Amino acid sequence: MMHWPFKNIFCLACAFALSASVPSMAQDSRREGLDFFEKHIRPLLAKHCYECHSSESSSVKGNLKLDTRAGVLKGGDSGPAIVAGKPAESLLVQSVTYDDPNLQMPPKGRLTGAEIEALQQWITLGAPDPRSGTSDTVSRTTRLKEGRQHWSFQPVKVPQVPQVQHAEWVRSDIDRFIRARQEQSGITPNPDAARPALLRRVTLDLTGLAPTPQELAEFVSDAASDDQALVKVVDRLLASSAFGERWGRHWLDVVRYADSVGKTRNVPFPFAWRYRNYVIDSFNADKPYDRFMQEQVAGDLLQARDVRERSSNVVATGFLALGSMDLNERDVDQFRLDRIDDQMDTLGRSMLGLTLGCARCHDHKFDPISQQDYYALAGIFASTRTLSGNRSRSGGGNTYFHPDLLADISDTAAKAAMDGRDPAQLRAAELARADDLRSTLAPMVQRYKALPDGAPGKAALKQRMTALRRELQSLQVAQAATAPGAAGTGKGAKAAAKSKTQSKQQRLEAVPFDPDGDIAMGVSEGRIEDLKLRVRGEPDLEGDLVERGLPAVLRTVGMSRIDAGSSGREELGRWLASSRNPLTARVMVNRVWGHLFGRGLVETPDNFGVAGIQPTHPELLDYLAADFVKHDWSVKHLIRQLVLSRVYRLGTDIQPQQAALDEGNQLYWRGSLRRLDVEAIRDTLLQTSGRLEMTRPAGAPYQAEFTGDLSRVAARGNTPADLTLSSPVRSVYLPVFRSLLFGMYTAFDFAEPDQVNGQRDVTTVPGQALFLLNNSLVADASERAARQLQSQYGDNRRAQLAAAWRLILCREAGADELRMAQHFVESAEAEKSGLALLIQALYASAEFRYTP
Amino acid sequence: MTGWSQLELGGSRRRLLQQTSAGFGWLAFRGLNMQTATAGQPVVAADEAGGAAAGGQTAAAAGPLSPREPHFAARAKRVIFLFMQGGPSHVDTLDWKPELQKRDGQTGGSAGRVGKLLAPQFQFQRSGDSGLWLSALFPELAKHADRLCLLNGMHTSNAAHPQATIALHTGSVNFVRPSLGAWVTYGLGTVNQDLPGFVTISPVGLGGAQNYGSSFLPASFQGTRVQPEEGGIADIRNSRMSPSAQRRQIDLVQDLNRGLLSRHPGHAELEGLIQANELAWRMQSSVPDVLDLSGESKEIQERYGLQDAATADFGKQCLMARRLAEAGVRFIQVSRNGWDQHRDLKSALQRNCEAIDRPIAALLSDLEQRGLLQDTLVLWGGEFGRSPQDQGSSGDGRRHNNTGYSMWMAGGGVRGGMQYGTTDELGEKAESGRLSTHDLHATILHLLGMDHTRLTYRYAGRDFRLTDVYGEVAKDILA
Repeated sequence: MMHWPFKNIFCLACAFALSASVPSMAQDSRREGLDFFEKHIRPLLAKHCYECHSSESSSVKGNLKLDTRAGVLKGGDSGPAIVAGKPAESLLVQSVTYDDPNLQMPPKGRLTGAEIEALQQWITLGAPDPRSGTSDTVSRTTRLKEGRQHWSFQPVKVPQVPQVQHAEWVRSDIDRFIRARQEQSGITPNPDAARPALLRRVTLDLTGLAPTPQELAEFVSDAASDDQALVKVVDRLLASSAFGERWGRHWLDVVRYADSVGKTRNVPFPFAWRYRNYVIDSFNADKPYDRFMQEQVAGDLLQARDVRERSSNVVATGFLALGSMDLNERDVDQFRLDRIDDQMDTLGRSMLGLTLGCARCHDHKFDPISQQDYYALAGIFASTRTLSGNRSRSGGGNTYFHPDLLADISDTAAKAAMDGRDPAQLRAAELARADDLRSTLAPMVQRYKALPDGAPGKAALKQRMTALRRELQSLQVAQAATAPGAAGTGKGAKAAAKSKTQSKQQRLEAVPFDPDGDIAMGVSEGRIEDLKLRVRGEPDLEGDLVERGLPAVLRTVGMSRIDAGSSGREELGRWLASSRNPLTARVMVNRVWGHLFGRGLVETPDNFGVAGIQPTHPELLDYLAADFVKHDWSVKHLIRQLVLSRVYRLGTDIQPQQAALDEGNQLYWRGSLRRLDVEAIRDTLLQTSGRLEMTRPAGAPYQAEFTGDLSRVAARGNTPADLTLSSPVRSVYLPVFRSLLFGMYTAFDFAEPDQVNGQRDVTTVPGQALFLLNNSLVADASERAARQLQSQYGDNRRAQLAAAWRLILCREAGADELRMAQHFVESAEAEKSGLALLIQALYASAEFRYTP
Repeated sequence: MTGWSQLELGGSRRRLLQQTSAGFGWLAFRGLNMQTATAGQPVVAADEAGGAAAGGQTAAAAGPLSPREPHFAARAKRVIFLFMQGGPSHVDTLDWKPELQKRDGQTGGSAGRVGKLLAPQFQFQRSGDSGLWLSALFPELAKHADRLCLLNGMHTSNAAHPQATIALHTGSVNFVRPSLGAWVTYGLGTVNQDLPGFVTISPVGLGGAQNYGSSFLPASFQGTRVQPEEGGIADIRNSRMSPSAQRRQIDLVQDLNRGLLSRHPGHAELEGLIQANELAWRMQSSVPDVLDLSGESKEIQERYGLQDAATADFGKQCLMARRLAEAGVRFIQVSRNGWDQHRDLKSALQRNCEAIDRPIAALLSDLEQRGLLQDTLVLWGGEFGRSPQDQGSSGDGRRHNNTGYSMWMAGGGVRGGMQYGTTDELGEKAESGRLSTHDLHATILHLLGMDHTRLTYRYAGRDFRLTDVYGEVAKDILA
């Protein structure tokens, strides 16, 4: 660091000195002074100092700017740069003479004697300086004080609900906020979307699936009012398991979920799926969001009601273990700090909407978050053991994998944790129990074999044996997962002999890939310690020790003091979940709004900091945040409120008159066409062609195929895509291998799983058209759907076509569309199934790709 | 500064749409004309496109990708950017530092630097008539020394890979902004309407789609990915139906799409989607041809190193780049990662350089022989360089160095056999001929005939530039 190390030594009133000295000079000597500045000083400063000490500097060192007169006088962290008239007392001169080993500027090399003399002479002259402009460097305290004024650090205020003229239009307070702004701007909202469009919109939004033709018929013919009919649909959708699959996936984007570690040694995470399922189940169970956050940050430290909840809580901490890491990183400190950075960045952007990671190497450029703050929070993660199943090391093969680095979620482990028992003792007990079981089982097997079929008691004996075997199996799995090193010692002669013939690594691999193993990714408490600040983020440049805690700017809402014996994650979790936390509820309601309206009220959903965009409707945002907290952080309640609002129902047509007033639809006068994400495209393709498998696959069925470095597997031409994309399960259950995404996923803007992604790109590229026109997945779906319609409607071409529109676009075809379609099918028939080609055209149409 | 997109802001765009059956394509073209017209430049109709727009598709004649005249006479018409991700060590490749050689093993460099000075790990020698200093790692490239313009005074604001990579590609570290290739294609359109204007071959994962994204620019300017290892462009062929049958199918799709657009006049995404469908259709015949290397002579294939395992991958990409350039693609990027030598500096650098040296030399001579080099700007380099100090216990590695590093240019309007810019005696900081990312971008645009201060796009109420408010053209390197 090139900060001047002195603090406040020369805090003299230089401004006075200068203003006093300059006017006292004769007019021509004043000009002379300025000439001197132009000739000697300005070039010197520009050449040697501006790189680090000007407004143009990529990072201003020591808060010192020398490119304005004000900047020179005000100085930097070490105080004013000059004392006019007194070169010897001026820091600037002291530093360029290199007399003090702690203060040598410029760092590249000493100035020439002539240059130093010029500076001295200039200061002696009273430092004449024609440069104007203000110095805008600010001290840390000012920065913090001003930073706290930023809107998102202010407490959530329950705003007054505005009055509207068109009271008949509104359905809820949400609508009042929206309509009031429209009325102010003289904007008239669109009429509501027609029922079919609304059904398709809400079904896709809530479940990622298309409404079936039956659902369409029911909704359209529902005699109830629009309001009541919609309530029925919404409640049905919220209760379906597809809801969690859709909204869980949104969360998985935010937490950079993946099934492999990525980067240089891209080994799989064979147990990541447990976290994925946990997320889906949490949304389906409408787990309060405050609790949801706490579990992910500190589930292993929370009280649990039973072993199941305990295990689920541990699985939740997979949140911290799923990051992309360079396993080839041999510098252990670098690896550790990179992992902490991933955890900080993910936590910051996903739950707080803050780019904390920016303060790793220097103070945050925009937000009032210092490097100290970063390392204070980082200490919490430094005191945490991350159980991702792999470690950093060099070399090839699979030696990155280590089952010792996974969380045991067996019932026994859960019990031990809940009872506060030592897992080692428990393991010993388990080993003893396993030996018991084996010695009990052996004679039973003999007896069983000896008994003739149908003999009394044989069936009961078998039952008993099965139960014992199951118990034995679970014990062995648990031991294998938790025993440090490798397959244990007390496992019997046979196992030991076998293990000798296997390489150690093979044994390591054999255990975790057992799909029934009670093993998960997660975290546990590590060695509790504070972390040293790292200068420029370099692991080996250690600075001061920083006490674990929250960034100063966030301390407006207190976090309980971190216990010396704990990492602080539990306290952090409680703080996140506090109803007084200004960020967490706002960030989440904004995410939900964004998914339903195509754009957040804050358009940068992962950044609520100073560089983020201000909310378009700040009062509405606060209203929703407060309401969310009031309703026990219920995500389903929030979504229900939003989709039952009037503004959610508006048609998408672009009316020139309104567009002239608000082309960007900032005031929500129309519904916006929103592109389906790739999962919805694939799922509805499979669904409408009758191929979608709605049941959740057990575990991660692909994992046996991929055990090594995936980039090598892929290089052998055996890509994960070949083996899994064609599977009929919902897309959320397909593996997400970092840097090996399916081509379809890349073409349709799947979230890059390396980092937090609250808003996917929406691109329009020819590759999307090529996929829909040429990929066999689409052609197969078209043919299946065509066969389905043919079997339903026989030779009735008109009925087939009308049904195709209902099936794929969820609406009645227009008369001209039907004519066009009929003509197309007939002319295409010569070559192929015309109906299939028509259906493919519907799949390839823009309408299929958008929520109406 | 008036961006052409201003049309989108007022009511004029919608009125035009209502008045004309030519629809969006015409409008987009009009809009682009506006840009050059306000810049006081004559507007030349898209004659250049006429011949290339095979298939006679209407959208081809006046789409946003139609070729446009630059602000002033261009020295280069197209760009091939050879991007080396990870931070290639400039002090071992392009920036000869005898002082570093002398002070091997000593401490040195600016305050706060850790590690001992590590001498250049490879011999440097003078090459060509110009006597440029180049490392022995580039024996083939050295034969083209007199065509190279070494940029030894590069510097960039961030020393982390993702930020620096994105900055190099978009000019911005913190915000999502259009990529260089998108800006160039926006400014100039492209010659061949059957191919994307901007193609990126094997893009690196770091930075992802941002590196070739269009951000707020219209979607048509986004880069199209080509993955040679996955057969080029996915789903480029349809084995199930004849082209005429597929055309009828696409016509139906487009009819439906236009129906949707009529309810959503001016909807940029829908317009882009309709255009993308047409481009996709044309690409089906053009892309397989242009990416098919089998028609190249054995001599050419060998020259690019296609037979040799060490050079085959990169050779293929370079040969594809040449074919795309020849076919009229405006901006072509080839990427190669693995230049992050915190360790194994010697062996990894040797391997990397071996993989690219021959293919790049072949590309340069091939372009030259076809008369393309004179108006093709070839740019080589990474997101930053590496420290003169060593790293790690083995001492066989270097840290990131963003304050000084090197790239090179060749072809289209740059002086050959030139060393432009210097770093300090150790290679740590750029001293003279300093080129920031913005300066680099400004220079590239200048070579393409565009004034970086006038290439603007109005978005969210403000005119945006690739170079933001910065950028200075390195005039000294212009031929």
